[in-house]
Amino acid sequence: MTGADMVLEALEREGVELIFGYPGGANLPIYQHLPDHPKLRHILVRHEQGAAHMADGYARACGKPGVVFATSGPGALNLVTGLATAYMDSVPMIAITGQVASTQVGRDAFQETDVIGATSSVTKHSYLVTNINQLPRVIHEAFHIATTGRPGPVLIDICKDVQQADAPHVLPARLEIPGYKLNGHVNLEHAKAAAIALAEAERPVVLAGHGVLLSHAEAELREFAEKAAAPVGTTLLGIGSFPVNHPLSLHMTGFMGTGWNLKAVQNADVLMMVGMRVDDRVTAKLAGFAPNVKTFIHIDIDGSEMGKNVRPQIELVADAKQALRAMIPHLSEPEKSRGTWLAQIDAWREEHPLKYTHSNGHLQPQDVLIDMYKRCRNEAIVVADVGQNQIWAALWWNYDRPGLFLNSGGSGTMGFALPAAIGAKFARPELDVWCVAGEGGFVMTAQELSVAVEHQLDVKIVLLNNFSLGMVRQFQDDFYGGVRSQVDLTHMPDFVKLADAYGMPAVRVDKFADIGPAMDAAERTKGPFLIDFRIDPEANVYPIVPLGKTLNDFWEAPDQ
Amino acid sequence: MSEDRLRVLSVVVEDGPGALSKVSGLIRRRGFHVRAISVGPSREPGLFRMTLTVDSGHAEVDQVRKQLERLVEVVEVEDLTGHDVHSRELVVARVAAADLSDLIERGAKVLHSSPTGTTVEFAGDGGEVGDFVEELRRHGVQDVARSGPVVMRRSA
Repeated sequence: MTGADMVLEALEREGVELIFGYPGGANLPIYQHLPDHPKLRHILVRHEQGAAHMADGYARACGKPGVVFATSGPGALNLVTGLATAYMDSVPMIAITGQVASTQVGRDAFQETDVIGATSSVTKHSYLVTNINQLPRVIHEAFHIATTGRPGPVLIDICKDVQQADAPHVLPARLEIPGYKLNGHVNLEHAKAAAIALAEAERPVVLAGHGVLLSHAEAELREFAEKAAAPVGTTLLGIGSFPVNHPLSLHMTGFMGTGWNLKAVQNADVLMMVGMRVDDRVTAKLAGFAPNVKTFIHIDIDGSEMGKNVRPQIELVADAKQALRAMIPHLSEPEKSRGTWLAQIDAWREEHPLKYTHSNGHLQPQDVLIDMYKRCRNEAIVVADVGQNQIWAALWWNYDRPGLFLNSGGSGTMGFALPAAIGAKFARPELDVWCVAGEGGFVMTAQELSVAVEHQLDVKIVLLNNFSLGMVRQFQDDFYGGVRSQVDLTHMPDFVKLADAYGMPAVRVDKFADIGPAMDAAERTKGPFLIDFRIDPEANVYPIVPLGKTLNDFWEAPDQ
Repeated sequence: MSEDRLRVLSVVVEDGPGALSKVSGLIRRRGFHVRAISVGPSREPGLFRMTLTVDSGHAEVDQVRKQLERLVEVVEVEDLTGHDVHSRELVVARVAAADLSDLIERGAKVLHSSPTGTTVEFAGDGGEVGDFVEELRRHGVQDVARSGPVVMRRSA
């Protein structure tokens, strides 16, 4: 069997149905044999970065690893941003790149790049395959590593001569990866102590991250919170792990989180952080983060997260589901004072509601999102890009279940939304998929509109077009001396004509009354649809914590 | 650099072309800094042992071990910092001086002699090797090559 066939057969064996890719010199043997494997459906992208984000969106939407093909050199390098995006957010992905022939490696051959070197900081693991006999084992291992423990992207760089070589196909009897100890680091010794600390707390807060979604621990989180009468906030990536409409919900935390969430975190005496990295976007100024907490409880599957940013008094190294299950039986009746704490939080919720300006005559992004939410409820996937659009989409929808809000949280990759929405639609064809993006990020990967049109995917694109790099403009206004520097996007395409050029319908909306009819048109249309919402160019994201300040110092939207 | 940021780690890695670069790349990108390193085959075929002295930089010191453990190539990490250990370093030096009795007395071994100079080797713990290198100055030292420490616990 040829190396190329070994790769393709291994993908079939791993249950892969879709591949997002782009052919080129060093992976042509794989493409030569691809038609012999009709179970594998290949989506030809327009740029490799698009392939990586599609595979990422696919994986986030259905939980299966996304698979990407790219050629050597520039092809593989174009994946790097997409790999980094997936790596930061712990998304399982397999990237198979062609490499120059093994005899050419190191000679600066045509389209040769040290792809392992270029990607090792943005992959969970990577392999350079220089011998055909390594292939079956490597691919099997790669899927195992990408999808287990804390998931992540794994890259397999396969020399072109290996793809063309012929060898007997010998499957590995079993996996032997001595350095990959899945359960070796699990530590639930302190589960009881953690449960007691939380039950006995006067002012407990639970924060839930992406790890809760990755381990499908939403039911356990809810049971835990209700039993402990503990309020729950989520990180940006943890949205969907706890229903926003639940009475115990604190909605989103972090430096653009809700006022009542930040008040609760800053006044908590016990803070339990589940399945999250506790990065700077969550803590704001680290020295002033949750200053009244006596006991930090940190739960994460990755032991290296313990004390990386915040040193916990109690640590549980485990899958969120496993940890919550171990804790729930030890929860006793919550402290009587709990009613006072929850009443205090309700008072903060009243005092610091989410609000926005809608009396200046401009179309407001929140109006658009509220209309969308009324239509979709929780039956649609929203894929946001990066910037103001991302935070608005996070805050103004009341997500009540997992998997409906996808975004590049850790890496903050502009251009993520369109290709990721395409990937999500391939993964969940039965759900509506809405792409929410600013015009700045949208044009970074807009060439993938071709893919949406080619496959007539029902992806509805909501462009929140404010003629500028809005988040950067807001930062410059508020934190960089008010100097607006290089943020005006004055020369942009006419997006309705652009959509038309790609062969898809689009409309422009610049007043409130037109939101509904445009949304109706989007919903009626089969296949992709774009709405260019010309929004208030001065619209800002609130609340926001000024850079370098603590969560206590959040600014709210100005009163009307 | 503060001494209490230093970790001495014994790291067993899979023998492969990428292992050393993956380990050193991780150390760099996490803001750590390698102060000394020695690498050689371990008792088990297919596994190599690295002895690393690493400055943890601004990170919590246990991050060095935890981050290394995340690498698939890394089979085992033992943090030997502060433990009762045998720590040995090797120095090879070429000196011009004819009278080497001071060096020999310290335990140096002559590897090669020629009319222009003598090559000696010396092994000891970090302090002893440091003192030996100081001593070499008084013997017209021409060249010095010094290894990183190789470390093992005194009792299992």
